[in-house]
Amino acid sequence: VRRVACLLVPRFSAAAIIRMEPALAGQPLVVLGDTAPARLVIEATDSARAQGARPGMTGDELLAEPRTVICRERSLDGEVAAHGALLEVALAHSPRVEDGGPGLAYLDVAGLQGLFGDESQIARRLFGAARAHGLEARVGIAGSRAGALLVARSACDVAAIPPGGEAEALAPAPLALLDLPPETAHRLVRWGVRTVGELAALPSRALFERMGEEGLALQRLARGEDPRPLRPYEPPPAVEEGQEMDGPVETLASVHALLDVLAERIGGALMRRHRAADRLEWTCLLADGAEHAGQVVPVFPTRDPVAIGTLLRAAVDARPPHAPVTGVRVRACPVYVPPGQESFDGPRRPNPRHLAETLARLGALVGAKCLGTPVILDTHRPDAVRLDPFTLPAGLMAPPRRVLAKAGDTRGGGSRPEAGPGPTAEEQPAAHETTLDGGAAPAGPPRPVEVEMKRADEASAMPSVVSGRWSLGLRRLRPPRRAAVTLVGGRPVHLRAEGCAGRIVASAGPWRSSGEWWGEARWARDEWDVELQDGTLCRLVTDGRGWSVEAIYD
Amino acid sequence: MSTPTAFAPPPGRDPVADALLTSFPPGRLSEIVGPRSSGGSSLLMTVLARTAAGGGLVAMVDVADSLDPASARQAGVDLQRLLWVRCAGRLLAALRAADVLVRCPGFAMVGVDLGPGPGPRVPHAALVRLQRGVESGGGVLILRALQHVAGSTASLVLSVAATRVCWGGTPRPTCLAGLVSDVRIANVRAPDVRGLNVQEQDRPLPPGAAWSISFFSPGWPPASPMTLSRSRVS
Repeated sequence: VRRVACLLVPRFSAAAIIRMEPALAGQPLVVLGDTAPARLVIEATDSARAQGARPGMTGDELLAEPRTVICRERSLDGEVAAHGALLEVALAHSPRVEDGGPGLAYLDVAGLQGLFGDESQIARRLFGAARAHGLEARVGIAGSRAGALLVARSACDVAAIPPGGEAEALAPAPLALLDLPPETAHRLVRWGVRTVGELAALPSRALFERMGEEGLALQRLARGEDPRPLRPYEPPPAVEEGQEMDGPVETLASVHALLDVLAERIGGALMRRHRAADRLEWTCLLADGAEHAGQVVPVFPTRDPVAIGTLLRAAVDARPPHAPVTGVRVRACPVYVPPGQESFDGPRRPNPRHLAETLARLGALVGAKCLGTPVILDTHRPDAVRLDPFTLPAGLMAPPRRVLAKAGDTRGGGSRPEAGPGPTAEEQPAAHETTLDGGAAPAGPPRPVEVEMKRADEASAMPSVVSGRWSLGLRRLRPPRRAAVTLVGGRPVHLRAEGCAGRIVASAGPWRSSGEWWGEARWARDEWDVELQDGTLCRLVTDGRGWSVEAIYD
Repeated sequence: MSTPTAFAPPPGRDPVADALLTSFPPGRLSEIVGPRSSGGSSLLMTVLARTAAGGGLVAMVDVADSLDPASARQAGVDLQRLLWVRCAGRLLAALRAADVLVRCPGFAMVGVDLGPGPGPRVPHAALVRLQRGVESGGGVLILRALQHVAGSTASLVLSVAATRVCWGGTPRPTCLAGLVSDVRIANVRAPDVRGLNVQEQDRPLPPGAAWSISFFSPGWPPASPMTLSRSRVS
């Protein structure tokens, strides 16, 4: 048996504004269009209509008489978001949903009794879900789309017609329920047709002779006949929410409040889809017509409204808009996250929400570019590191695999030898020419010595946590400090640099390296490890133009 | 100056040295104090590596941007589990960042490197706040400083001092082999922290106990006397 539910939001433009400003619920609200020069009233709530406000009135006509109504401009973004929320409510209950237009959605409720109870309970559940998302919807359940629509229009909040009872139930309803064009309605009234049942009872042949196909369509509507199946609705891949403000705001606090509201809706939409957001894109509409946009990537996909709100606020704080804000749009890219399970003996799994908040705060403190996971670049250039956004490791719950860092980089020319007795500059043996393919290098100007180190033994290649061997590390000085170095016999004997000066009591070097000679970023340098008289161990570097202290062993 | 054969890794694991890696009290502020080139930063990096190897997330708040990721990787730090917070010399921002991190329950250990040089004075109020934060977060917070700055807020203070620099090559040094440092328990203040717990010993090491640790330059000792092959490109 075919059973269709209709979710109808009456006076949808006003309902969308009330969804954005819940304080307007029950107030005499008038929605104005943006058609210049005469702005027309396009919607009015019941309490506003009680004061004489009607759709189609101009703004001047509205103000001609003293009325205590609240005027708002139509919000297209708000209507799109409200309609999306309505469809999300329908999708949360049935996989077969049709988008009926602004403020209207149909869903197939056949077979849902086992999940949600009988039809009246389903209707109540739909009504409550829509209300939870800020929409006062009417719910009608019948055997066809048309029947369900008419039931929803006639219902106060929820109504369900038993199978086969559409014509009987709709017969006493007034003709206005069909939402006919004024000319058609006037024509039927002249014929004496005043109820839906009277229209349904007219002879079809005579109606076709007088009104054509339109008449038959109206009669089928009055009988609740609609054999067309539902057109399936595919939800968009991204979840979007937006809201405009009453006027331009210049304080971030107002933007924060709006972001929290949008985050709440985004989180709800993601939860209904059983998805989580792995990227959030935000756009501030500015008063000067420009758009100020950005995005934030949570460390872990989340649908927690609090975490989403925190991330968005921190992102906007880090890049505040340069002009007053008139509206905000947020777009979340959903992904499916399989549920995880904590282990008894594993490390504490960080709460994604706490972690996301922590990273957002840190980004606001030190800057997003100064925060992340270090990644050593695939180059021999010293200190070639980039920061990637910090994300949770895939196998967080399991102990990580052994990290086998190599003792010395064995990637060929340009790597600095980390150990081994090496001859000094004046002790270097006669060299032979090498190239990447092993052939002879073309003759040219003298270039620095390429140094290559063979792989050290396995024990020294293992990190200290595995082998029990403790590794001596470097503390880099960024940028390197310029230094004045005194040489005697080609070896440094005295160093003078900011915060680091004295007689050199021991030194080893030069370790010559070069790289990227094929491009613009070619480099070549000599490195020395030196011990100062005060015990400081430094790494000195010269590129032929001057000396600098690059790092301190510590 | 030592010879290459005299400066070699121990044949087995040193239980006292290994105890260092796991004995920093959780929920407490600890401090590693020592001058430049004392091995204090290498000690901190090894502790971070041990924690990351156990599956936890670690963070490094770097006041002076002095962290060398290659050295961290060499020490065994799983860089995927390391959050590096570069503060570009801003001490107060670094202290605030550390405060945020220690209150996040996801990080098992947070290291704060105050920089290789004498920086501005660390406000005591910030240290107290850090202490309170790490108590609530339950992780381990370790300050690396040239001098003792944490005062009464530090539950465990380790003092590191270099005793010997070892070079390879005779008669003239040709490469840096490593560093030998003395690590001493300078102070223990928390009532529930009595010292370093060493499994092989019946009772924790008391304040004042010291032992020696050798830090090896990466790749030392070489596999053979001639591990280097050099070529001149002319």
